[in-house]
Amino acid sequence: MKRPPSALVVLAVLAVLPLILDDYYVHLLIMAGIFFLPVAGMNLLLAGGQLTLGHTAFFGIGAYTSGLLALHWGVSPLYGMVIAAALSALVGYLLGKVTLRLRGAYFVLVTIGFAEVIRLIATNWIDLTQGPLGLPGVPPFDLGRASFTLTTKRQYYYLMLVFAALTYALCARLLRSRFGRALVAVRQNESLAESVGVSAYRVTLVAMVVACALAGIGGSYYGHYTMFLSPEVFSFYNTVTMVVMVVGGGQATVAGPAVGAVVFTFLPELLRMAVFYRMLLYGIILLLAVMFMPRGIVDALQRLRRRTPPPLPESTAPPVDALVGGVGAAGRGDTALRVQNVTVRFGGLTAVDDVTFALARSEILALIGPNGAGKTTVFNVITGFLTPTAGRVLADGVDLTRLPPHEVCRHGLVRMFQKASVFPERTALENVTIAGHRLGRAGFWALVFDTEAARREEAALATRARGLLAFTGLADRALEVAGNLSLGEQRLLGLAIALGPGPSVLLLDEPAAGLNPAETQRTMTLIQEIRRQGVSVLLVEHDMKMVMGVSDRIVVLNQGKKIAEGRPVEIQRDPEVIRAYLGSGGGSGEADARA
Amino acid sequence: MLAELVQHVVNGLIIGGGYALMGIGLTLIFGIMRVVNFAHGEFYMLGAFLLFSLFGTLGINFFVASLVAIAAVGVAGAVVERVILRPLRGQAMEIPMLATVALSVILQNAAILAWDPSPKTIRHPFSPIPLVLGPIHVVAIRVFAGVAAVALIIGSHFFIQKTRLGKAMRATFQDGEMARLVGVDVDRVYMATFSFGAALAGAAGVLLGSIFWVYPAMGDQAAMKSFAVVIMGGLGDFLGAIVGGLLLGVAESLGAAYISSGYKDAIGFIVIILLLLFRPAGLFGRRDRLR
Repeated sequence: MKRPPSALVVLAVLAVLPLILDDYYVHLLIMAGIFFLPVAGMNLLLAGGQLTLGHTAFFGIGAYTSGLLALHWGVSPLYGMVIAAALSALVGYLLGKVTLRLRGAYFVLVTIGFAEVIRLIATNWIDLTQGPLGLPGVPPFDLGRASFTLTTKRQYYYLMLVFAALTYALCARLLRSRFGRALVAVRQNESLAESVGVSAYRVTLVAMVVACALAGIGGSYYGHYTMFLSPEVFSFYNTVTMVVMVVGGGQATVAGPAVGAVVFTFLPELLRMAVFYRMLLYGIILLLAVMFMPRGIVDALQRLRRRTPPPLPESTAPPVDALVGGVGAAGRGDTALRVQNVTVRFGGLTAVDDVTFALARSEILALIGPNGAGKTTVFNVITGFLTPTAGRVLADGVDLTRLPPHEVCRHGLVRMFQKASVFPERTALENVTIAGHRLGRAGFWALVFDTEAARREEAALATRARGLLAFTGLADRALEVAGNLSLGEQRLLGLAIALGPGPSVLLLDEPAAGLNPAETQRTMTLIQEIRRQGVSVLLVEHDMKMVMGVSDRIVVLNQGKKIAEGRPVEIQRDPEVIRAYLGSGGGSGEADARA
Repeated sequence: MLAELVQHVVNGLIIGGGYALMGIGLTLIFGIMRVVNFAHGEFYMLGAFLLFSLFGTLGINFFVASLVAIAAVGVAGAVVERVILRPLRGQAMEIPMLATVALSVILQNAAILAWDPSPKTIRHPFSPIPLVLGPIHVVAIRVFAGVAAVALIIGSHFFIQKTRLGKAMRATFQDGEMARLVGVDVDRVYMATFSFGAALAGAAGVLLGSIFWVYPAMGDQAAMKSFAVVIMGGLGDFLGAIVGGLLLGVAESLGAAYISSGYKDAIGFIVIILLLLFRPAGLFGRRDRLR
């Protein structure tokens, strides 16, 4: 799709429409536009995997705020709208702060509950809202002065078009920026997103605030347009309408909410012909739509026209030295990582028992042991996915023990997961670009206004991502969707992703698992090259050929305890290690904690 | 004063029993299938309306009609699982959720066409004269509803703990993939779960429908209540749903009496917001566990 021209064509058509349509249809378009604002906001949140079912609360808060301000205190609706947006955003921030730590179904249910509480307050606070009777006589919208009061439907339409176009542009920018990529990353693979430095909580909270501000603006305009406020705006039915618009239109697409808002404003009106059966039919159409195009109208259309991906612009990949290391937290001192007396208990089970070791700067250290020895648990502790029962993790003298994964990444520690872990619905190139999140400096407003600096940064991130793909040998697969890559390719992509944030310490969890000998060989070469660039590597691996071939030192765990540490030749001769592996101790390693 | 308080608590517990039934159904469906069922209130409504028709219109014995109504809602649940939810398995969470939203619109409007929107009462065979236990007065139908709710809750508990199907449900709850590997027929478990959850909602409709008005939109508030119960108890927590349901019933009853009847319906959600601030994983703080 050639975006800018088609956007202009659509805008031109929308500008001409009210000149040829009668007032009833203009009214419907205005309503579609009003709903588009909150729906576009929901779409941002949904891009990050969070479904709000209380969005109408923020719409209503916006409507009541500027409506009451204009009605009782004569505040111009234009300023009222600004206050409404700010208040909705503030309330959204507070609610998000409480709920977005849990996310998922909790978030869904709590947002419903929140909307219900607000509805009950609006119904029962009679002094302020006149309860269920509602408030008639809300002043019409004006542009800051009574002489600029909107009087005709067309005027409302054109101002609505301005708001809608701005909202569309805002959401398009956000979704296509580093911020939007982070949202998608959280939705597709939260652990991986966290491990490359994306705070799921932070990005969804920002999306929540934007979504609520948009809902507040939409609600404010709605109040002044209909000139009537009633607690009905908070009804669950309103929320359902919004969800239908966003999911039916095409969630996480840029155009989806707009298409959804128009289609699902007109559909119930068209169904008026069916009189008694109207809502029943509406429900049935909705159900069929969900069943047969769960990704929404826009997605279904895109599938029809089968887009061919644009060719990748030729670019000179930067030298590897600039890609690996160099970017990460510059190492100080000789020790890159120190694990001190770490113990992890799950209930009565001790998975890791008082383990201590250190990773020297530019060293490749392998962590080995039979199944259930606690290797992955140690990894999870180091990278912040698990808080140990006792002990500490230090990097460059900083205590990382209680930091969440995205903060650990900020200190230069990045892991690669045991299973193939990618962002499955994005291209390989996007996968690695997402992983560069932490290197971006452009703030929210820089992204919104697409400043020169933000654009340069974006280009730099894309170049870097291409370089990393070339480094891992995936250059010609850059535009393939990650989920379609072979297992071996996905592992290599996982490595490229882990290099994305520019780590100073790289943690690899069984990088050779599921690889053929050629791929294993290639991975070994890559690991050595990565180390040559000054990155320290901690490796968990079962493939002894790889372990012995690549490591400087080895730490052996058995049943959660460290039983040996030394150079490969020493480890190979260590009687206790041999016993642990050959199981003369009775194979109890299998019964141990599955870490 | 104290007598009055006890009276409110007793009333609350009886209504809370119904909430608990709703909550158990919702929490099982969520815990095992990862589906937030927005048609839960409509299963509740269906239970009440089926009883209304079978008993009120066709004149079938009240108790027989109640059982038939509950079973019929269970069958409806199984059909919904097979026809709507199974094809959507594997989609993102909001897709099946939206399907149940559509289903709720369909069922509610179908009920309007079938039974018209005016509120109805079920003329149950119990005496309207209250039973007097010391200072407490309870009408017989409420005693019946309370006792029946307790019996159903205990029955559900045994079903989940002791039967083969119940064990398969618990296994699927803990790890669906693993359960499949050890030979659990996960399709069957899903269908049973949804059917069972729907039947419990239908049972709540039968019991509370005999006490309150019966009308097509009655499920809206009931669904809201069960969402509150489930969040309070912790998503997927069986025991939590029981305690959450009883607690909500009592809190509402006391709130309506001593605070404000207008805000009665908000109490559950206010409790939830407080709870989220202090005990984010529900009353018992155990996430992802089915007891």
